[in-house]
Amino acid sequence: MKDGRSYNRIAAIFFLAIGVFFTLYARRVEIGTFTEPGPGFLPFWAGLTLTLMSIALLLGSYGKQVAQGRSSFFPQPDSWKRVLATFLSLIIYNILLTPLGFTLTTFLFLLFLVKWIFPQSWKRTFIVAVLGSLCARLLFINFLETQLPKGFLGF
Amino acid sequence: MALGAQIILQPINLLFCFLGCLMGTLVGVLPGLGPTAAIALLLPNTFHVPPVTAIIMLAGIYYGAMYGGSTTSILVNIPGEAASVITCLDGYQMARKGRAGPALGIAAFGSFIAGTISIIGLMVVAPPLAKFALAFGPPEYFSLMLLGIIILIYLASGSILKALMMFVFGLLVSTIGMDCISGTQRLTFGILELCDGVGLIPAIMGLFGVAEVIANVEQMIKTDTITTKVTNLLPNLQDWKDSFWPIIRGSFLGFFIGILPGPAPVIASFTSYAIEKKLSKHPEKFGTGVIEGVAGPESANNSATGGAFIPLFTLGIPVNSVIAILLGAFMIHGIQPGPMIITKHPDLFWGTVMSMYLGNIMLLVLNLPLIGIWVQVLRVPYPILFPLILLFCLIGVYSLNYSLVEIGLMIGFGVFGYLARKFQFEMAPLVLAIVIGPMMENNLRLSLVISQGNPLIFITHPLSAIFIFVTLALLLSPLVPWIGKRRQKLQEKVEGEEV
Repeated sequence: MKDGRSYNRIAAIFFLAIGVFFTLYARRVEIGTFTEPGPGFLPFWAGLTLTLMSIALLLGSYGKQVAQGRSSFFPQPDSWKRVLATFLSLIIYNILLTPLGFTLTTFLFLLFLVKWIFPQSWKRTFIVAVLGSLCARLLFINFLETQLPKGFLGF
Repeated sequence: MALGAQIILQPINLLFCFLGCLMGTLVGVLPGLGPTAAIALLLPNTFHVPPVTAIIMLAGIYYGAMYGGSTTSILVNIPGEAASVITCLDGYQMARKGRAGPALGIAAFGSFIAGTISIIGLMVVAPPLAKFALAFGPPEYFSLMLLGIIILIYLASGSILKALMMFVFGLLVSTIGMDCISGTQRLTFGILELCDGVGLIPAIMGLFGVAEVIANVEQMIKTDTITTKVTNLLPNLQDWKDSFWPIIRGSFLGFFIGILPGPAPVIASFTSYAIEKKLSKHPEKFGTGVIEGVAGPESANNSATGGAFIPLFTLGIPVNSVIAILLGAFMIHGIQPGPMIITKHPDLFWGTVMSMYLGNIMLLVLNLPLIGIWVQVLRVPYPILFPLILLFCLIGVYSLNYSLVEIGLMIGFGVFGYLARKFQFEMAPLVLAIVIGPMMENNLRLSLVISQGNPLIFITHPLSAIFIFVTLALLLSPLVPWIGKRRQKLQEKVEGEEV
């Protein structure tokens, strides 16, 4: 049973890493002095502040119970699948956009998401995917003349 | 003001004001997307027009999204955004009693009246305040910005420490890119797109658009839309009598709360509800569908949006994430924020003010007849809607600079935003930091150069000292048990009414 404290702990470690990273990185870009603050001035002091705050959060997470806890990270057992699938679909869209072109990539994107996240019937899926990609193409490429990639198929 | 009228009546500005209102309402109506997401998603569309037109359109989007949010609250019991949460309480109950029409009508009319009052306030207060702000130098600016952020954080609903951490993290993110004073590249890794810094658009689209959608796909949003035909949108005489004072009170309350940093529309709507309940002759009826419970909060949150423009136009300081994004838009269009905005760009200020009047009228006209269309939009099942929203985000970001790197950044921010929500970290301090980070850094460094390295400059300048003192007082106040408990009580009250 995770409660607010373990979330805070994990977050604290994340921000601690960021804070330490910036504090050390700042030295590479010249922190400067108070009289002549350099490009590393703010990163150093802000990084240091974040580091200290993260330590405070980390220590606090070992203290008394935080009221705002949640019993589980995901509301449903299969939530993580939908979340992960949606994120991956965005990444794959980014990868396929140039080689496959806008229209085809959009079609596949809509097809996948409509069919597999909250499964709809094939008929509905196809209608949405086809209409969606064609309308988007008409609107953005033909009407607004946005420079979207044409892909190896040339459209 | 004549200048404003001249500007707003130009056909291009009329058109874009209308488009802004329309698109803003459309996005505001969509469950799960609020004004911040609306502005984030629609901001790229404003780049192809002149700055004044773009800002007019953005103001229209902002108002439109607030209106759209109330529509979803009343019809579907899903608030379009935080400020509409309160409207769900009595608005939805009125809809269930078959009085959706008057609820929507009074929300529209109340918002119109409140918006008008707040714009008059803006016109009256802004120019003299801007003159006063001319006395500000780098130390005053730095401490004022710091104070603004701290007030925002203080009023945040969660832990102050976590909100502060998000702010500092945002400051660090804002340092990525080329340092404008020395020209040094900071954390760009040789990537061209990062030389100008982490783009505001990919960041906000990721944090508010993508993250919001991903959070929504965790489980099916159950909508209980009022599907009976919504007729009779005009409130009757009794409704008007009941709503008159709540609207007036809400307008003034909202305006003053709007000037303060923080989630003003949210605070304004909750405070208005609490006040109306206290002043009512039948407080026990609140929550069952009383029109005062809609009229007051809706007026307050609309008026707060007008009030929130004041620090933006007079000091160039944003007080919440939406205004921060608008400020970012100003900068993208090459407009330097600050007290000189009114004198250097009077067309911008007066054009925006008049566009708010016009926007309010347009929205009144748009919302009432178009309710039927919005209801149809709400009927689009979320499984089909959300891929379209994501597609919109993808195209929106790509069309900025035709860069896959920026899409990647958006996805990255999306992941971060999603996790931040789950781990209960506030988004607003992060967004504010990304927008005003560079300004704060410049003012900080300039102040130190002026004082020749003496950090006490922030205290030796009287105005700056006042700001710093109040900042410290707010930061240390939760440690004082009595104040800490009162803040906690306020938070619990807000959270309790949200549920």
